[in-house]
Amino acid sequence: MAVDLGKMADLLIAGKVEDVSNMTQEAIDEGMNPKEILENGLIAGMDVVGQRFKACEMFIPEVLRSAKAMSSGMDKLRPLLSESDSRAAGSFVIGTVKGDLHDIGKNLVAMMFEGAGFKVVNLGIDLDTQVFVDAVKEHKPDLLGMSALLTTTMPRMGEVINALKEAGIRDQVKIMVGGAPVTEDFAQEIGADIYGANAASSVDKGREAVGK
Amino acid sequence: MESIMPDMQPMNQTVQETPQFRVLTEDQIEQIYFAALDVLERVGSRVHEDEALELFRNSNEAVVSDDKRVRVPASLVERALKSYPRKITLQGRNGKRSVALQKDHVYFGTGSDLPFTYDRKTGERRRTTYKDVTDAARIVDALPNFDFFMSHGIVSDVPNPQTYDRHQFMAMLEGCTKPMVVTSVDGEGLEDLWKMACLFQGGEEEFRLSPMFVAYIEPISPLTNDRSAVEKLLFAAEKGIPAMYTPCPSSGATAPATIAGMLVQSLAETLLAAVMCYLKKPGMPLIMGGVTTVMDMRTTTYSYGAPEMSLASAANTDISKWLNLLMFSTGGCSDSKWLDEQAAIESTLSLLTAFLSGANLVHDVGYIDSGVNASLESLVMNDEIIGMVRQVGKGIRTDEEGLALKVINEAGPGGEFVTRDHTYEHWRDWFLPRFMDRSDWETWNSEGCKTMSDRVNEETQRILDTYEPQPIDDATRKGLKEIIDAAEKRHSQ
Ligand code: B1M
Repeated sequence: MAVDLGKMADLLIAGKVEDVSNMTQEAIDEGMNPKEILENGLIAGMDVVGQRFKACEMFIPEVLRSAKAMSSGMDKLRPLLSESDSRAAGSFVIGTVKGDLHDIGKNLVAMMFEGAGFKVVNLGIDLDTQVFVDAVKEHKPDLLGMSALLTTTMPRMGEVINALKEAGIRDQVKIMVGGAPVTEDFAQEIGADIYGANAASSVDKGREAVGK
Repeated sequence: MESIMPDMQPMNQTVQETPQFRVLTEDQIEQIYFAALDVLERVGSRVHEDEALELFRNSNEAVVSDDKRVRVPASLVERALKSYPRKITLQGRNGKRSVALQKDHVYFGTGSDLPFTYDRKTGERRRTTYKDVTDAARIVDALPNFDFFMSHGIVSDVPNPQTYDRHQFMAMLEGCTKPMVVTSVDGEGLEDLWKMACLFQGGEEEFRLSPMFVAYIEPISPLTNDRSAVEKLLFAAEKGIPAMYTPCPSSGATAPATIAGMLVQSLAETLLAAVMCYLKKPGMPLIMGGVTTVMDMRTTTYSYGAPEMSLASAANTDISKWLNLLMFSTGGCSDSKWLDEQAAIESTLSLLTAFLSGANLVHDVGYIDSGVNASLESLVMNDEIIGMVRQVGKGIRTDEEGLALKVINEAGPGGEFVTRDHTYEHWRDWFLPRFMDRSDWETWNSEGCKTMSDRVNEETQRILDTYEPQPIDDATRKGLKEIIDAAEKRHSQ
């Protein structure tokens, strides 16, 4: 009997990590097309998760559990997919600026991006400007994210942008900033591309900006 | 006065002065406490500060691993816990010893560092300024039910982020004479604020006897202690400055999703600080804290209005009393973006719960927008709520005067009480509303159909227009300026 991809999507929505992983393997063993498994099983499930989150029918822990189920399936599929099909939705480097120790908001943004299929590098907190510059050079991400929760550390985000300009790599990345005291106006003032108010809307904006 | 009651000396009576409220039994508190000790023995807490690591190492009891994790045996924790004072009396810059922190004595005050303010003229949200902090200070000085002041807002119009705390303290002092709780950038910042306070108090020794402020310090949940926080804590220990080390865990995000689990973790964080201060200098006035709440799983907001915050905070207060520590708690705050029905509901619930729990310093009164936006009107509204809450706390007297048999007899069936002496003497015991409207519809209508927010707004404006706090004398002002200028100079290089 052929593996039911609709059921796989349902299991993913229900956050059944192991079941999704096993079912993906079964489908592969049956010789099903990997791209079809990805699109009609995993991605179809994640799309519903996204819709239900917006409709307040699913909540953060459930969304993150579904994302984990998604990536357990992806682990099985990746070796079989063509490079273009297995490519991440984009790559994202994120960190909290110097002098700022607020951690969890930035981590949630990172997790939600990961859940949306981005390749994410989480640099940590209290980071020197140079760490951001080096990370952009090293990882060449589509998107660089900076978080600041203090009015006193917000200006550091502008400093990073200037340093990227000086290094001649500002235009290689889109830059997103966020955190409680950050505003759309401030983001524009310092020359960032995107302002993220919360994890969920940041992912939407990030996807749009990266255009994948 | 002759008793008209047949027997006023019954046996085996229990009366209570006030309502009684507790969330946890002693057995439950012990379960949480032993679990926290277990966390300190097995998991430990990370400390990013060298002097503190050295203190732990030299104790020959705590174990410090290469990754800066400190694990502490129960015996050391229990010795440390015995060293903390059960009473601290705070005084204002006017010399009034108005806040006597001791078991079950409850005081209310603002929160600190709100980055945004609604401009009262334009209604627009903008960054908070020095003047906003001074205005909040004046409001709190004028309002009868506020006992202490935290900055409410953060001064953003200052030369250097590294020295903002000195200017902020100055703005607070300009407007308010009541005792304070202060936030600072680092150890050096705290030292400057303490020097500024000592100018009012006539020196270090006087400060120690009856301090003008408590230092607000926080670990990073889960189980992490950053350099600047530890620096401040050690400085406070050295100088005998009262300090709270208040975990701010969000259940489900930076702490377990069960309230008991969150309490275990934050108690472990508190106990580590208790040991650290003890090793530095036994007996410093350490105050237990905790803004224990949940992260909203739809929005990711750190909630200041959740009922879980009230419940967890009250439980934390039960624990603090069992440990013989004073307690810094939370109430009168809201997630609402605007001073509206939601703000009133959330503020009331948390104020009542915190009051009944007997927490000593209840802070964050007046916060809206989850600790991001400042509202002076919210301070005024909460003043009324605190009045109501305190009234509930008065309890009911059941002595002869309270039972009022005499006056019931006088009035008799079909009589009235308005003209009786008993009424004349006792109606003043009641809460007297200032902003709650109890008028009839005609009066309300003819006086302009004012809503609660209209009345609160008018009072806010009235205070801002008319209230002048006791001024700071010139000599002290000069001393304050010198300290601030010196800090600016050090940091401009
Ligand atoms: C790259 O693109 C993006 C896109 C979106 C991005 C993004 C990046 N980054 C964030 N987002 C957005 O998406 C996230 C997920 O939806 C969201 O992230 P958030 O982080 O906002 O959301 C989290 C999931 C939940 N929110 C939070 O966890 C923050 C809550 C509040 C109460 C808060 C907390 C908990 C803490 N704090 Co602090 N803290 C406050 C906060 C008030 C508030 N409501 O913001 C704020 C930010 N803190 C403040 C202060 C003053 C401080 N804090 C401090 C410390 C701490 C704790 C360590 C105790 C703790 C953090 C623990 C941790 N593990 O992160 C101190 C500073 C330490 C330092 N050097 O960083 C200290 C200075 C206090 C002191 N004097 O010691 C205030 C800021 C004032 C200012 N200067 O602007 C503050 C507004 C509260 C207040 N009114 O006092 C969005 O902002």
